[in-house]
Amino acid sequence: MQAKTVSTAVALSGLGTRKGAGTVYRAQLLYVRVMMWLIGRLLQAASAVDPVIRREVAVLPADFTFAMRTHSGLSGFALARDGRRLATRRSRPDESPTLLFEFKHVTHAFLVLSFVEGTAQSFANDRMSLGGDAALAMKIVRCLDRLEVVVLPRFIAERGVKHYPDIGLATKLGLALRIYRRFLMDLFGG
Amino acid sequence: MRREFYEFFCPVKTVAGYKALEHMAFELRSRRVSRPLIVSDKGVVGAGLAATVIDALESDGIVPGGLFDDVPSDSSFTAVKAGVAVFRTLDCDSLVAIGGGSVMDTAKAINILAAEGGDDIRPFAGVNNLSRPLKPLLAVPTTAGTGSEVTSVTIIKDEDTHAKLPVVSPFLLPDVAILDPRMTLKLPLQITAATALDALTHAIEAFTCLAKNPISDAYATTAIRGVARWLIPVLEKPSDPEGRLELAQAATMAGIAFSNSMVGLVHALGHAVGATASVHHGTCMGIFLPLVLEFNLSARRHEIGELLLYLSDAETYAATAPADRPAAAIARIRTLKDRVNAISGLPRTLSETGQVRREDLGTIAALALDDGSMIMNPVDVTLTEAQALLDRAW
Repeated sequence: MQAKTVSTAVALSGLGTRKGAGTVYRAQLLYVRVMMWLIGRLLQAASAVDPVIRREVAVLPADFTFAMRTHSGLSGFALARDGRRLATRRSRPDESPTLLFEFKHVTHAFLVLSFVEGTAQSFANDRMSLGGDAALAMKIVRCLDRLEVVVLPRFIAERGVKHYPDIGLATKLGLALRIYRRFLMDLFGG
Repeated sequence: MRREFYEFFCPVKTVAGYKALEHMAFELRSRRVSRPLIVSDKGVVGAGLAATVIDALESDGIVPGGLFDDVPSDSSFTAVKAGVAVFRTLDCDSLVAIGGGSVMDTAKAINILAAEGGDDIRPFAGVNNLSRPLKPLLAVPTTAGTGSEVTSVTIIKDEDTHAKLPVVSPFLLPDVAILDPRMTLKLPLQITAATALDALTHAIEAFTCLAKNPISDAYATTAIRGVARWLIPVLEKPSDPEGRLELAQAATMAGIAFSNSMVGLVHALGHAVGATASVHHGTCMGIFLPLVLEFNLSARRHEIGELLLYLSDAETYAATAPADRPAAAIARIRTLKDRVNAISGLPRTLSETGQVRREDLGTIAALALDDGSMIMNPVDVTLTEAQALLDRAW
């Protein structure tokens, strides 16, 4: 009886590591990890230089903390309000931040972070759960939308937001340049 | 293959129809409880509705532990604290809520503290902050509109800051919703109208916003048909139990739909007006519904056109060209509002309420943008657009 149980466990383990599915999943996980890392740091940079995001951050509670992660804890980033801007902090799956956006699966996160599905539609489709105050969530969603509009080419950003705002190319490029410069300064301690 | 994906969840048992109240004792005993706290308000108790429920319970051997009727029109921290103290003092093991949205919200909040401990609801505010299943809760609505008997939300007012704290958790869903026509027969005309328009808005927003799905659509469209068919007959003959039950069922189905598919801009604007000027929620829904449908046409023309089928009949729908259906559906809602106004005097505009100050419209627009419902609206809304909508609603 015992030998039979071990045999079944081995068979199930084999099903879960089929080469095709495993490769796609690992590629998605790698992409999601890179994008989560990038978004956290770009949001930190944008909160220092973009006037729209600065206005949203200014009215967040002083002890505000935010995390976006996958439910499995395999990927994520965390931010905290640090004075007048947001600052990245270590993401811990066991922590309860003021506001939490949690993807129920790495593949769901991949759909949003690869701009196949917008943030709002992802909430609507229950791919992502929200923990915390809805009004604060609206502010962070607006920050994420603004970040997408400013730092991404229009044809990509349009897939992620409900409405692409009327922002001139010169304004967009100027802001993107300042955000990426700040991103590099934060990264290399400038 | 399209990438549609959705979740649908409604574990609430619905008990509806003639002598439904007499079924409650069985439901309590089935959950191995026998000493419920009745939560209600003074209006409901004064109208004799709580007594009708208690008689139905006692006739089948369930004697309630007590009655708590200190629920204000806007559920508050004080009421919740007082209610849970009564629950503990009387050693109750379950709750029966008899009333409208405020009573339901208070009972849900009392239930949180009864199960989780403490007397402060604030640590549980927000989404998914409850850790365990609550005590059995039976919900007996005395209005046909809020749908609170099948929703996972409670909203409690902080009297000090005037902020309204929402708590959202699947544990808040009542165990049983009891729809008995005796409970809504005496509802005043204007409240009947306002709550029915609230139900209509729940259903229409669930059907037209981002989280729509095939199962909630089925509930939403049946609810729209129910309100469109029965609201005017009930206002013309309020003592008709058949019409009252039809409206109650429509409201519950709209509640199931929006509990899964959520609501959008109509509710965001309505919440902001309610918080600023204390206008009745259902009145706000009626004011904003046609204006927001016009605003959302760019993204939801097909769905809004389809509403005509449920707001009228198959013949009218078939005889209307597809391109004309959205405008015809919105015109139907405006006609319904006018007829409701003629019978009950329910305000159709913000100025008709006499409670909103025009100089507050900017504040209301800013508040609406931060409302959680906004994320589900199919069209993004800027501050300027929200202000323009409020001006049109004036």
